[in-house]
Amino acid sequence: MRQAILVGVVICAAVPRAFAYDFAVDLRTIGQGYQVRGFAPDGRNELLSRRRLTQYLDLAVSDIGPSAWHGDDGGRNLFFFDASMRLDADFGGYLLGAPTGAAASPELKQSQLDILYAYFGGRNVGGRLDFQLGRQIHFDLVDFYAFDGADLQLHVSRLFTVEALAGTEVRGELPLSSPIYALDGTSAGSRDPATRPDQNSVLAPMAGAAIAVGPPSGAATARLAFREVWSATADRLPGEPASGVNFEALSLTAAAHWRDRITISGGIRYNILFDELDDEQLALRVKLTPRQWITLEHDFLAPTFDGDSIWNVFATGAYRDLRASYEVALPRGVKAYARGFVRFFEATPDEVATAGPYAGQDVGAAGPGGRRAQGASLGAAWRSARGMARADAYWDDGYGGRKLGGDATARFKVRAPLELEARATGYTWRSDLQTAGTTGEGVVFGLQGGGRVLLGPGVRLHLLLEDNVGTFYSSQFRGLAMVELDAGL
Amino acid sequence: MKRKRWLSRAAVAATIAFAAAAGVAAGLASASPATTEAAPVAPVAPPGPSPLIYPGESLPIRFDHARHARLGATCEGCHTAAAGSTVAADNLIPGEAACRGCHKIDRANPTKTVPAGQGAARCDACHVDPAGHGWMPPASSNGQTPAEPPPVVMPRPNLKFNHRLHASRGLGCALCHTAAAGQAMVTRADLPMMASCLACHDGKQATARCAACHLTEPDGRLRVQLATAATIAAGGTGLLEPSGSLRGFDAHGPTFRRDHAQAGRDERYCLTCHRRNDCIDCHGGVVRPPDIHPADYVSLHVVDARRNVPDCSSCHRLQTFCVGCHQRTGVSADPSGGQPGVRASNPFGTGTGVKQFHPPGWARDAAGVVIAAPRPNSHSTAAKRNIRTCVSCHREESCLTCHSTDPTRGPTFSPHGPNFAGTARCRFLSSRNQRACLKCHAIGSAELDCDR
Repeated sequence: MRQAILVGVVICAAVPRAFAYDFAVDLRTIGQGYQVRGFAPDGRNELLSRRRLTQYLDLAVSDIGPSAWHGDDGGRNLFFFDASMRLDADFGGYLLGAPTGAAASPELKQSQLDILYAYFGGRNVGGRLDFQLGRQIHFDLVDFYAFDGADLQLHVSRLFTVEALAGTEVRGELPLSSPIYALDGTSAGSRDPATRPDQNSVLAPMAGAAIAVGPPSGAATARLAFREVWSATADRLPGEPASGVNFEALSLTAAAHWRDRITISGGIRYNILFDELDDEQLALRVKLTPRQWITLEHDFLAPTFDGDSIWNVFATGAYRDLRASYEVALPRGVKAYARGFVRFFEATPDEVATAGPYAGQDVGAAGPGGRRAQGASLGAAWRSARGMARADAYWDDGYGGRKLGGDATARFKVRAPLELEARATGYTWRSDLQTAGTTGEGVVFGLQGGGRVLLGPGVRLHLLLEDNVGTFYSSQFRGLAMVELDAGL
Repeated sequence: MKRKRWLSRAAVAATIAFAAAAGVAAGLASASPATTEAAPVAPVAPPGPSPLIYPGESLPIRFDHARHARLGATCEGCHTAAAGSTVAADNLIPGEAACRGCHKIDRANPTKTVPAGQGAARCDACHVDPAGHGWMPPASSNGQTPAEPPPVVMPRPNLKFNHRLHASRGLGCALCHTAAAGQAMVTRADLPMMASCLACHDGKQATARCAACHLTEPDGRLRVQLATAATIAAGGTGLLEPSGSLRGFDAHGPTFRRDHAQAGRDERYCLTCHRRNDCIDCHGGVVRPPDIHPADYVSLHVVDARRNVPDCSSCHRLQTFCVGCHQRTGVSADPSGGQPGVRASNPFGTGTGVKQFHPPGWARDAAGVVIAAPRPNSHSTAAKRNIRTCVSCHREESCLTCHSTDPTRGPTFSPHGPNFAGTARCRFLSSRNQRACLKCHAIGSAELDCDR
């Protein structure tokens, strides 16, 4: 004990006093009260009252270490800590009668405490290394994941960076862990809750590596990445495998840019678990004139799930999207856009019925909505330092159903600390699965009004009220109050 | 009757809302702008570089750089402070004293004439009024208290720049100020833009860090709130946002919040300005973003969910978010379908509820017999295309009721397509995670061998 104290004293004495930490604390308290449409046991519409209180606490410590470490341009050996914690509590009558036991859902817990992320990091350490240690979230064009562990990036040269990560996947079943990052596909107790433990509660190791090519501000960049998640079999029975792969994929993302006029960007993911390209994205953006842009996109997505899920066997379909959008900057700070899309659902080999009353027919094409969906939207937005206003209209139809509606929003600073906002919404919709006159179609009009006020340095209050009328009710109320507190030291 | 009532109510409410919004807009459009600092004199409309970086200036003078250069003037001869300047906020515009070396100015004699070939000394030779005409002191001043000409105003640029550092590395003025010596009047439109900086700041010759030049917050992110009287007067938002000139898809246009997947390819780039929480607020947030999900989206979402537009799972984990709400609102499978605790008389219960969620022929025919072969209305197509929609109510047990090899559960319809056993998909799945196979197939059964 004495030795520990002595070591501590020596370390404290040796630490230079010129350290210049910057602390930033962000505290947000969000209260929401709203009504959710539900169905009473006798089939009538009913409105369930939901009251939620959410508390975010974010802490960022930056510039850890003496200024002398940062080099001539101030960009070397930057150390920092970043964390975010959330408590989401539910009150009101919404949770009464919620499923319990094996059917209980994490979303229906009365309160959920999550550490969204908390990591210590370094940038440009020794001019070569970036790292993050702790709970962290990462995303790119074809991947989005969270894990507890370490992520390292070594800048081998100006053109090459190698990356490695290792840790365990963040899953909703783990303490202080949000389910939002977990792979879909298996729910609690899906292996037969009566007799088997939950596979999801087992730690799932994750490892990955990547190579990135291209200078930071270069005209062309590319990144090749591999990531795998696996888990040991919980409560293994004789004959069962010792472990299983939950996710395993190789992805390539790349972008190229030519004279601020043409940009091409895309990504492709090879899912090794299924021997399938399950995500392909390609986009082209062209600056036609200094005030006009056009974007063309192609997406292909085949749904895949956690390797433990049988839905990987069922979900053999895929869809392909073609999208185009046009943007124009008009005078006086107005920007307008028009966009359209077509979605094609690809035929699977067994969609032509081989037996039954529809033998020989393509049931995929003959079903509700057919094999295609399409839509368009257009709108304009005006922004200035004093506020914004925008209007949007949209229509789409085909597989899934039809939507037709519009939305108008305005927000203005009335006086220095006060902003007012209003929104009006109206739309009609119809599901392609429902027959007319049932719950499968409706019309909704909604109004929002509220404001934001700066109560003091770093303290903001945001109030918003909403009321909707529509086919299913004469009033549906929603209220939101948010207090934000930012403090820096 | 009821339908008419809410329609008329909605119409009135919508009219009031639009009128209010339009009124606020009209009222504010005529109001004076908010200011955060003293307004500059007659800001110039900003062609060229962003007014956020170089706010509008006021240059009520005539000055011919090219002519002075021809006469032998050097940059440092007039801009004496430039070589020693370390911050961009330094005022490097030469004062009257710098002119006096050649221009024999006499403030007591504003109309002073000089011999041909010498620098003019009249006030209006250099100074102009706001209308652009030559400026002279008002006659009433009568030489007693010389009036000051309209001032030159150059608001501080929102940049970090160290002239001394660049000069010490041998970089001449003309490398960045390319137009200065070759044209008459030089304005903010001729100041260096980011593209010229990046010619050297490429990560090799000099750092490519954004924060090396842009102003930063204490945590190292770029300072993006740059609203000043000058930037507001220029018609901007006061917000530093990517224009698209650097990476194309990063342009924060009116559809960016919905269409930023390509820009999000490089998270490091986003985090240059954004905090990590800015992602979480939508991707896993607890507050409905009204521009993505309009009012009463709960009613509308059935269309988007079935079509998977946009990809719901980019923000919601379907087996927690969707299932939780569906269970509680009575839109879920029958309690006997494997979900104990769900309200006992679920109106959407499979086949037994008072309402029917799925259309006729979804799983059973009109006689109640389980459908063995796919039909246009049956669930097989929906499950293949977007089983995520099914996941919002059902769990794997629902599928296993009919799609298991265990006859005690029910029918044993195979979900595998034709010749599945011989496919690479079978081999890959089986070799990497046979646990999924064992949910339907018995341990040690022959079906587990893809090469049988």
